[in-house]
Amino acid sequence: MIPAKTVLLISIIYFVILFLVAYYADRRRQKGRSLLSSSHVYSLSLAVYCTSWTFYGSVGRAATSGLEFLPIYLGPTLIAFTWWFLLRKMVRISKQQNITSIADFLSSRYDRSAILGAIVTLFAVFGITPYIALQLKAIAHTLNILSMPLVMSELGLEAYTQMLPTGIDTAFIVAFILAIFGMIFGARHLDSSERHEGLVVAVAFESLVKLIAFIAVGIFVTYGMFDGFSDIFQRFFAQFPERRDLFLLGTEQTPYTKWFTLIILSMMAVMFLPRQFHIMITENSDENHIKKAMWRFPAYLFLMNIFVIPIALGGLIVNGGDTAQADYFVLTLPLASGHPWLALLVFVGGLSAAAGMVMVSSVTISTMILNHLIMPIILKMNVHIQDFSGILINLKRLGILGTVFLGYFYFRVIGDSYALVNIGLISFTAATQFAPAIIGGLYWKRANRKAASAGIGTGFLLWVYTLLIPSFVRSGWVSSDILQNGLFNFSLLKPLELFGLRGFDIYTHSLFWSLLFNLAAFLTVSFFSEQSESEKQQADKFVEIFTEQTVAQTSLKRISKAPTVMEFVELMSKFIGGKQAQASITEYLKNQEIDSRGSLSDHEIPHLKNFTERTLAGYVGAAPARIILDNYLAARGSEMEDVFDIFGSVTISDAASREQLSVLYDAAQIVSSGADFQQVLDRILELLSQQFKFDLCVIRFLEPESMTLMVRSLVGQSSEDFGQSERNLNMDTYIGQAFLSNVTMVVNDTEYLEKAASAKIIKREAITCFAHTPIVLEGEPVGVLSAFSKTVKGIFTQEFVALFENLARQIAIAWRNQQQLQELLIVRDQEREMEIARDIQMGLLPSSLPQLESVALAGLCVPAHQVGGDYYDFIQRNSTTYDVVIADVSGHNIGSALIMAEARTFIHARIQSIQQPAAMLSELNSYFLKDLDRSDLFVTMFYLQYNPDSHRLIYSNAGHNNPLLWRNKKKQLELLDAEGLIFGVKKNISFEQKTTNLAAGDLLLLYTDGIIEAENNDHQFFGTERLGHLLEECDNLDPQEIIDCIMNQVRFFTGMRHFNDDITLVVMKVLN
Amino acid sequence: MKETKGKSIREAWILCLIIGLVMINFPFIHIFNTDHLIFNIPELVLYFLIGWPLSIFVIWLFVHNMGADSADSNTQPKDGRVP
Repeated sequence: MIPAKTVLLISIIYFVILFLVAYYADRRRQKGRSLLSSSHVYSLSLAVYCTSWTFYGSVGRAATSGLEFLPIYLGPTLIAFTWWFLLRKMVRISKQQNITSIADFLSSRYDRSAILGAIVTLFAVFGITPYIALQLKAIAHTLNILSMPLVMSELGLEAYTQMLPTGIDTAFIVAFILAIFGMIFGARHLDSSERHEGLVVAVAFESLVKLIAFIAVGIFVTYGMFDGFSDIFQRFFAQFPERRDLFLLGTEQTPYTKWFTLIILSMMAVMFLPRQFHIMITENSDENHIKKAMWRFPAYLFLMNIFVIPIALGGLIVNGGDTAQADYFVLTLPLASGHPWLALLVFVGGLSAAAGMVMVSSVTISTMILNHLIMPIILKMNVHIQDFSGILINLKRLGILGTVFLGYFYFRVIGDSYALVNIGLISFTAATQFAPAIIGGLYWKRANRKAASAGIGTGFLLWVYTLLIPSFVRSGWVSSDILQNGLFNFSLLKPLELFGLRGFDIYTHSLFWSLLFNLAAFLTVSFFSEQSESEKQQADKFVEIFTEQTVAQTSLKRISKAPTVMEFVELMSKFIGGKQAQASITEYLKNQEIDSRGSLSDHEIPHLKNFTERTLAGYVGAAPARIILDNYLAARGSEMEDVFDIFGSVTISDAASREQLSVLYDAAQIVSSGADFQQVLDRILELLSQQFKFDLCVIRFLEPESMTLMVRSLVGQSSEDFGQSERNLNMDTYIGQAFLSNVTMVVNDTEYLEKAASAKIIKREAITCFAHTPIVLEGEPVGVLSAFSKTVKGIFTQEFVALFENLARQIAIAWRNQQQLQELLIVRDQEREMEIARDIQMGLLPSSLPQLESVALAGLCVPAHQVGGDYYDFIQRNSTTYDVVIADVSGHNIGSALIMAEARTFIHARIQSIQQPAAMLSELNSYFLKDLDRSDLFVTMFYLQYNPDSHRLIYSNAGHNNPLLWRNKKKQLELLDAEGLIFGVKKNISFEQKTTNLAAGDLLLLYTDGIIEAENNDHQFFGTERLGHLLEECDNLDPQEIIDCIMNQVRFFTGMRHFNDDITLVVMKVLN
Repeated sequence: MKETKGKSIREAWILCLIIGLVMINFPFIHIFNTDHLIFNIPELVLYFLIGWPLSIFVIWLFVHNMGADSADSNTQPKDGRVP
């Protein structure tokens, strides 16, 4: 034996060393030379995984069940393969979100759900606290073994424990010391997301001690007591040949299913046990440490296990195969062989294993309890205390004390029970229930809050029913009825044979059902329930942590009635203490733009809000931090303004977001509404101004004559010489540059203006940011859209500018529509004028024809367009003579019509003074010469006089088509030919005048070229010949009928084609 | 490129995990699950005594070859909290 005094002294010295190590680490950190910057410390600290359950228990399990102890270490080796992407992702997220614990991680991922955080915390408290009891038990028990008196009369440890007050034992003292340690080094600050240097370094130190101790005893047993591995196995098999199946799998003791289950359990436990999560993730100081830990940690586990089998076999050989004390072979073997100092080293190793686990677990669990159980209650109670921070840190310390002593309480109450001894695997199974929600949450965006709560909740219930209750039964606390008959005597509900599943060990059975229900609930609820917007954002932050960093969606939101920086500091001080709050804010403000008044601009405030929330999250957890901020803002009546959502969503989306589309859609609606142009512009500006809270929006269009930009529409407040005034086009102003260089000009902060001309006006109007974008039509700027804000800076993000430019394009479309409408109106006006002209022109033609006894007359004029240049007339010169005239002015436009009118006026005015056709043509030529020369027009005319009494026809021709004369008597067609040039060619033209006599039945047809040049689809002209034949055929008809007949034939000839030229026909038939 | 590299590293790790899971579970492990002794040591124990360090060596090899560049294919935020 070792004197109890020595054991106690060594224990105390060891604890003092631990305190010193932790203290030294904290000091080093304060000096800026953190020990945590070493990857060795990180790798070693992960070995908090190896508790006394493994330190002592592995040998025990190896002695009783053979290889069954191995999966507990093989699992972590396997899962280490995933660390570079899985663990690193969790570390990255936790740093970014200031995650404090596994409960916080889950709560944070799932919409900062307070309920989920509470569920996970409760789960952990139920699953982990008994594990603390197991550690205390190990320490107390080994203390007793070490100081066990060899002679009954002597007093061992009891000599000292007797001095203790009643009810206090060694485990109590140990618990107390560990709790103090946890309180000092695990709750020095309230900030849980900050690393606990002292605690971690102490744990790493303990890991080193337990490894050295175990290897020392391993070497001693294998090579001191025996002659190496081979010797031990040989002697064991010689002594216990029946126990060869200890080293086989697929046996009744260790079936393959159990082997597989244990591997899966340990894979999950090493990641998701709260203490592992804390050490691996919260305390990680550098992601690159993971790389080293990936092989160092498995190597540690390998070294820790290499001597487990030799020690176990050595113990069995020495103890004659008795497994009763197998758990403590590590200790009893050196003790029995007379090596007390080695036993003492082993004891210290075991103490390290237990202490490390208790310290880390108690700190982790107390943080979880404080943040996820107590904080929400405090916040609900709405306590009005100026500074919570002192209370909170003390609550946390109390939590550590409480957790350790809850473990002690378990130890005292349930002592040696089955439940306690097997708590290791029971807690592994509990930790595995977190796996679907965590891994799903890391890689699957749809995984949502309800699903995670449902999954973990269901897993928890199944875990209690299939694992905890059976272990309670085996401990004798619950009647075994439930195991034999099932719940409510329903055999399908037997906890160990749920739904009739038989033939599996308790862990496989429990893992299968709990994980199946957990996964099923998680997946089903995820599929069938929707995420809220904030949950989606949070999911993105987790899943997309390694992709391009998205700007926080709220970054461009505006908070109405926003708190000031000082108010945020006050809020933080309330929970984390004034000093901490000041330090945080100073650090934060270092990197921020601060305006002239020393305050943050509007769009920085939401950043500050997020920063405040994250900082608080580091102290009180994500869910409480969110509640604190939400309550605070709600109490002020502040809210994140929805209108600014558009920036948030525009910022993050690659394609157009729904909001962006909605604004553009509204703008398009306005443009296509058919409203008046001015209304369209006003309404677009109203939309822009309302949606984005601009103080002034202006549309200016170019006035081409003065080359200035004239205000066309304006919404918002403006002084006369600012928004309402026109702008000259030059590069000295932003608006001028926007127009002239056809680019959008953005000034997000008017503190930094480059153009002096603009700066003066902008300063006077107190504008904080503005933008001008050209309104462009087919590449040419036609105007400028401008927006000004007097309150916010930095509105114009790249994405928002895209939206802004899009609105300008909509305005350009409205402008084009307006232009087209104007043109249409002009054309319509012109058409109306042409119609008037046409009416007038038609009025110039004879409205009724003279009714004569000797001659029948008919005439027709069909203009190709509204107005034409053809003209015909019958004028009674005197009682015996009639003048008939037909003329064709080139072109079919107003000019032609005017010349035609002029000709008519001239003829009517001068008819009495000019007696002869040739003279008339000659006078007309002189008259028209100047006009026609100027207008590039020319005129042809045929002029005749007929005396019915004498039947004499006198005629002259000015280049006109020769009329056709049908001699009825001779049945012969003649052309009335007379020499004469067209009008307007030269000054003095002599027109030949001819005379002929007509007889009864003779037909005279005067026409313009429109009729003979009428074209058919084969591009053939109607021609004079065809016209002549037609006249021959119609000689028995009266003049009007002849005209109708000719027109019908011509129309028939041209088919669907329009006449290209005006058509005029005059028919004169001599009667009797 | 970076993304592809990161992805292929991840795939390689997952492949290793699967191979590892297969190699220490039924039916593969059944190969070594015999009464046979080598140097008086049961075959299965020897399998783990050799296989385990070997798998750690594989991790070391991988990590070693990942080099410094892939270590920060995504620059990690600086120590501590992110403002």
